Amino acid sequence: MSVAAYGRLRSKKRRNRTMNLITFVVVVLFAILAIFPIWWIFRTSLMTNAEIYKYPPSLIPDHWLFSNYEKTLKVFKFWKYLWNTMVIIVPSCLAGTFTATLCGYAFARLRFHGKSLIWALCVGSMLLPAMVTLIPLYIGWTRGLGFNDSYWPLILPYFCGGGAFNIFLIRQFIMSIPRELDQAATIDGAGYFRILFSIIMPAIRPAMIVVALFIFIGLWNDLLQQMIYINSSDKYTIALGLTNFRGQLKSDWSLTMAATCLSFAPGVIFYLIGQRYFVEGITLTGLKN
Amino acid sequence: METINKQQKRRSRIFSAEARVAYICLIPAFLGLIFLTYLPLVGVLGISLTNWTGLKSPVFIGFDNYIKIFTTDPYIKDSIISTIYYAALSVAGSMIYSLFIALLLNRKIPARGFFRAVFYVPYVLPAAAIYVGWSWLYEGNFGFFNYVLSELGLKKILFIADSSFVVPSLSMISVWLAGNLIVIFLAGLQNVPAVYHEAAEVDGAGGWKRFRHITLPCMTPIIFYNLLMSLIANLQVVTPALALTNGGPGNSSRFLTYLMYDQAFVNYKLGYACATTLIIFAILAVFTTLLFRTSGRWIYNEGGDDK
Repeated sequence: MSVAAYGRLRSKKRRNRTMNLITFVVVVLFAILAIFPIWWIFRTSLMTNAEIYKYPPSLIPDHWLFSNYEKTLKVFKFWKYLWNTMVIIVPSCLAGTFTATLCGYAFARLRFHGKSLIWALCVGSMLLPAMVTLIPLYIGWTRGLGFNDSYWPLILPYFCGGGAFNIFLIRQFIMSIPRELDQAATIDGAGYFRILFSIIMPAIRPAMIVVALFIFIGLWNDLLQQMIYINSSDKYTIALGLTNFRGQLKSDWSLTMAATCLSFAPGVIFYLIGQRYFVEGITLTGLKN
Repeated sequence: METINKQQKRRSRIFSAEARVAYICLIPAFLGLIFLTYLPLVGVLGISLTNWTGLKSPVFIGFDNYIKIFTTDPYIKDSIISTIYYAALSVAGSMIYSLFIALLLNRKIPARGFFRAVFYVPYVLPAAAIYVGWSWLYEGNFGFFNYVLSELGLKKILFIADSSFVVPSLSMISVWLAGNLIVIFLAGLQNVPAVYHEAAEVDGAGGWKRFRHITLPCMTPIIFYNLLMSLIANLQVVTPALALTNGGPGNSSRFLTYLMYDQAFVNYKLGYACATTLIIFAILAVFTTLLFRTSGRWIYNEGGDDK
């Protein structure tokens, strides 16, 4: 290597290092900005009302008033709401993931009459925004089947394939698995269900976890349907309970923020546990389409 | 003879073990497609032609609901404007923000996984709690943003209680929630072949040139996907109005889906609300079609069509 080339390489390396340093600083700044709202909400939840209205406001509470949480829990029935939310989410996630896997398997691997038609209907339903069918479904569930003030209208749809998008995702994933595996099992005398359960399912575990996570987030955020189908306060989910709680305690910001932080907690914990799959899964949806 | 053979073949195809398994697997999807998608779609069309309120039996009134919406409805115009305004700000903001952050995170910096988690975390919080939490940051007197404004010597703003600031304020929250877009962009960036960059660097192309002529073209399919997804999601915006603003102040955040909710579930004008639904659907369809139509012009397809 000539001296000049060596010098160029070194200066390039140095330039790269300074660029990386600048990038790092900018990332740190933005990360602080991104996390700041959560911190501000959290520190408010630990303050007295006097401290909240102090000027200038302090970034860190003087006394960490965890008693605010005790007070909040007396009015905001967090554990009840969490339980109610889980009663909706857990069966939905399980059923949605399982039925989406069944359907994805049929579309990816099996030959049958009318496949292209059913597939077209499935893909077509993906383009249909959820709000379009909201009112007829509401009428069907409440008038037709009598599910008033019930969780069933929120859960049962997930027993029907878990949504076209999730079926699509599973199908794409199964199609990326070599067929030789199934064929070898067929020669060994395994039936189609055996192949699904003992070969396909273990192989697509990441995709199944992703589907479960999507269903989780979808239900977690779906305030509209929860508002429509749930009426009585002892059936409230976290989202409903919090919206309602805020209405009651409009001016007591520290308690409202404590309730908000409580509502944040399950999502954060869930995310920390499943972080790897979250990232993998979201990545997967973006690239497979 | 031949026809019988064919028939037999066909029958065996329908009743073969393979097909049987397939039909069993597809029972849930059948039910879902029929009862949760296509029948309700017919239903929404049908109900929109009636004056149903949920009490008396519905009476067919033709296109009266649609005519009413376009001639006498006091909210529809503001509602369309505020929805499109919100969607435009949110989509543009979150696309720029998430691509920018993804580009930063794509460089070799320490603790990348940690930072990715930080930017992603807002996405996993329940939406209702996010809006309640932010309502405190936006509070008119003691909220954090007003503190910053007063430090800068500016006048206080009521943000979500001010009809001209409520939509941008809510859009800002939706930009903050764009963590999933960042993760998808980041994955896309990591798939841009490094060879291209190396080759361009040998040819003396600078950072901006490489971004403009390599990174950006390679990213267009992902940009399209993110654009489509966030457009569809943001045009259906309803949660902030439900959790926070109730469509106000005035009608400034009476988004279309909230308008429909209000008509159907507060005022029980089911027929009328169904007509509104279809108008929202039409607006969504127009925007997505536009996006698809123009996509051919700017999406770069490596190695031509792959399907």
